[in-house]
Amino acid sequence: MPGGIQQLLSQLVRRAGWNTTVVCFADEGSEATDADMPAQVVRITRARDHRLSVARLAGATAREVRRLRPDLVLSGHLVLGPAVVAATRRPRRATAQFVYAKELGTRQRVAREVLERIDATVTISEYSRELAISAGAPPERVHLVLPGGGSDGSERPDEQAREPTLVTVARLEDRYKGFDVVMRAMPLVRARVPGARWVVVGDGSLRSQLQATAERWGLGACVSFLGAVDDQTRDGVLRRAAVFVMPSRVPAGRAAGEGFGIVYLEAGAAGLPVVAADEGGATSAVLDGVTGLLCDPRDHVAVADRIVRLLTDPQLARRLGEAGYVRQRELSWERMAREVDAIVRSLIAR
Amino acid sequence: MAETLVHRGPDDGFVHVDARNAVAIGARRLSIIDVEGGRQPLSNEDETVWAALNGEIYNYRQLRDDLLDRGHRLATRCDTEVLVHLYEDFGPDLVHALEGMFAFVIWDSRSQEILLARDRFGEKPLFYATTDGELSFASELSALRAIDDRGAIDPLAMQGLLTLGYVPGPRTMYERVQQLPAGHVLRWPLASRRALTTKYWEMPPSCSANGSPLADLVDEAEDLLDRSVCSRLVADVPVGVLLSGGLDSTLVAALARRSRTELKTFTVAYDSGVVNEDVPARATAALLHAEHHELRLTSAWIGDHVPALLSAIDQPIADPAFVALAAISQLAREHVTVAVGGEGADELFFGYPRYRWLAHADRLAQMVPAGGAATMAGLVRRTGGPGRARRMTDVLQPASPLHRNLGWITDGLLEQRAGFYGPRLQEHSHSGDLRSLLSAAWEDIGGTAAAAARLDQGSYLCDDILQKADRASMSASLEMRTPYLDRTLAEFSASVAPETHMAGGGKNLLRRVLQRTLPAAGGGRKKTAFRVPLAAWMRGPLRAAVHDHVIEGRLVRDGWVQAAAASGLVARLDAEDAAARQLWPMLCAGAWLDAQR
Repeated sequence: MPGGIQQLLSQLVRRAGWNTTVVCFADEGSEATDADMPAQVVRITRARDHRLSVARLAGATAREVRRLRPDLVLSGHLVLGPAVVAATRRPRRATAQFVYAKELGTRQRVAREVLERIDATVTISEYSRELAISAGAPPERVHLVLPGGGSDGSERPDEQAREPTLVTVARLEDRYKGFDVVMRAMPLVRARVPGARWVVVGDGSLRSQLQATAERWGLGACVSFLGAVDDQTRDGVLRRAAVFVMPSRVPAGRAAGEGFGIVYLEAGAAGLPVVAADEGGATSAVLDGVTGLLCDPRDHVAVADRIVRLLTDPQLARRLGEAGYVRQRELSWERMAREVDAIVRSLIAR
Repeated sequence: MAETLVHRGPDDGFVHVDARNAVAIGARRLSIIDVEGGRQPLSNEDETVWAALNGEIYNYRQLRDDLLDRGHRLATRCDTEVLVHLYEDFGPDLVHALEGMFAFVIWDSRSQEILLARDRFGEKPLFYATTDGELSFASELSALRAIDDRGAIDPLAMQGLLTLGYVPGPRTMYERVQQLPAGHVLRWPLASRRALTTKYWEMPPSCSANGSPLADLVDEAEDLLDRSVCSRLVADVPVGVLLSGGLDSTLVAALARRSRTELKTFTVAYDSGVVNEDVPARATAALLHAEHHELRLTSAWIGDHVPALLSAIDQPIADPAFVALAAISQLAREHVTVAVGGEGADELFFGYPRYRWLAHADRLAQMVPAGGAATMAGLVRRTGGPGRARRMTDVLQPASPLHRNLGWITDGLLEQRAGFYGPRLQEHSHSGDLRSLLSAAWEDIGGTAAAAARLDQGSYLCDDILQKADRASMSASLEMRTPYLDRTLAEFSASVAPETHMAGGGKNLLRRVLQRTLPAAGGGRKKTAFRVPLAAWMRGPLRAAVHDHVIEGRLVRDGWVQAAAASGLVARLDAEDAAARQLWPMLCAGAWLDAQR
């Protein structure tokens, strides 16, 4: 599973119709992706040290800017912001910076320096917009473009085959995604819906403890950790499930949590209603009472309540699932590319 | 029966009797939330479900809102009423919705079933007995006396008291009475009249990898503890903090200060002995601009009050800090109805140095063959030093981790104490029974330190620390709340690797939170935890009580302790502090025995 940022940027480059050169890290299998990418791709080998890797990427970006003299330089991640700002000063070129959530908390100094100087800051949710402004971006230069998601060609899913199953799709690395809260909610869910199961798709360092906790709490038979699976298997799980659940909270301190949550739109593509948090980026991805039910992501009783409502009220679940399907079609990658393109053109035209 | 518990609930008391089914539920109330409307027992709309609650449900406001959303009608603002309606929705699984310290009963006349439940850590006690198809239950052992033949005294409980300093649950001092273990529910269908006990919660297994940077873990610890402190400050009555001056209570006080404009703190000091907590506690209180109250325990107070305290307790606890906690509770009750304390931090966040020593011993055992280690232990022992040298000897000496841990928690006196047992205990093969009881709770997942912490969470915390806190505070009609024993915070602690917890001398995360919250406190002092000048007390104001209850009382007369051994210890009392440590459990057991009918 590619991460959300990777997915967003590659969809943008594919659909925006620009004459683009992409500078990025070389990853396993990247040649295959590059082959059908409508762009020149400059791949940089990672160093062992992360900071050194970023420095290499920054150097390559500066070189490409000098060489190509582009109309606009778009930084896909804040770590490259300083390099982009420096490389476009003389001669002056238009710049834009994509921001999400996490990096705005963990790199506050860089964020301030970059966002004060960049021509446009593109945010991906209301929450991401608030974070960018509080990180120092002048509000008039901040744009909000919701990501796309789901699958543009997906057929409307069959409504007959649903099981009382909850599904979560996420890398099991970030505690804020609320696996702990869903685990606490499960006994309450099962008290109301005895056949309810929870399937977790994704792998990561949290998996072993979550799995052991499920066993210890007697939930071993109704909670499954599938690990990392291919897209087809994941789509199959989503199509058989009844509710997508991922109550990502905004963590304490500098960490920022979910910037948007493309996966919520992917759930919509499978016709699934969503249970998510009433805070953070999810509030832009999931419309409360329309495509899902939002609640306090720390309150496992509230999470259980929303899950049970969806499992025991098929009409409500279907209405929300259908609205989720329609919404992900509307919030397509095409639409996102058009909106970013409009921003880019207005910057170039200045 | 309920009248024997007036000290737990002096404000009012009622009994619901369902004569047709021969079910009666009584409750005494210490009014904290909805002082006017919270009479217990409470029922649902059609009076088919009744509940009585001892303790506090901290998330009752959210639960109440959820219930109203789901169409329930609630007549009071009282947390007990929430239980009744949650039960209608979830049945016995309602326990999964509760955050708090509680022991409660629900009588469902429709399904003809009684449900008893106890909170996750065992903060609130719940005793029960089943005799001839009848179930009787109460928050204290003494209340069961009113209706039940509790049977003979349990030798294993007595052994636990004399050796560990507490009665290991689910046993009680009486053979026929049991405690409902922490995190358990008991169902009693009237049809079968058999108790069905089920565990509904336990700590998640210990974690080997954190998955997050340390800074994020500190952020999360601070956030969760802050939320927990806030939830425990919810009360319609004044709230204070029991402050020892150590890290745990200082941090709780510092976080409480954030949300309270006025803060009252209470601490205890002694007029004898070496360790006093009044100076650091006073300094902390000054930093927090708290209204600070100090109690100095004088020899005269000890002599006047301790024998009565030890006799009046329903189930004896030989933890000397009980005395200080009971005294400070009395002082606090003059100013507040609810107090928060630092209980549970050491067990959940790896505060005891023992955990680090156990980890050292583990590593050593992997590196050095047993024979070599034993020789080294012999050499260190010959240096004859106290403290660290003795600990070092123990670390080097090859032993099973459980055995090493037991040796340390019994102050190295496990075998010696067993040597004092009288004929009533001799029959029970010295400490063997006790070992097998504790070894059942020893779970070797995540290393020895994690196993020891787990054992402490399930045994020492539940059966000593929390019983002590409950009995001491309730003896003064003070409600004590423990922010560290928040379910989410505890589960978070289990998701952090023991090595991370133990770094920098233990309680790594809590120390870092304190450094942020109250930098002037310097990250908290080393552990002292209401330490008590036991030897000075027993040589002075308690000498007569020792004579009455250890030498002359039922302890020796009934054959629990050998007369010669008891006399020998008393004779050595003036010369050896260790004799005082050995005599204290005997005094506690003796005073309690002599008070029984």
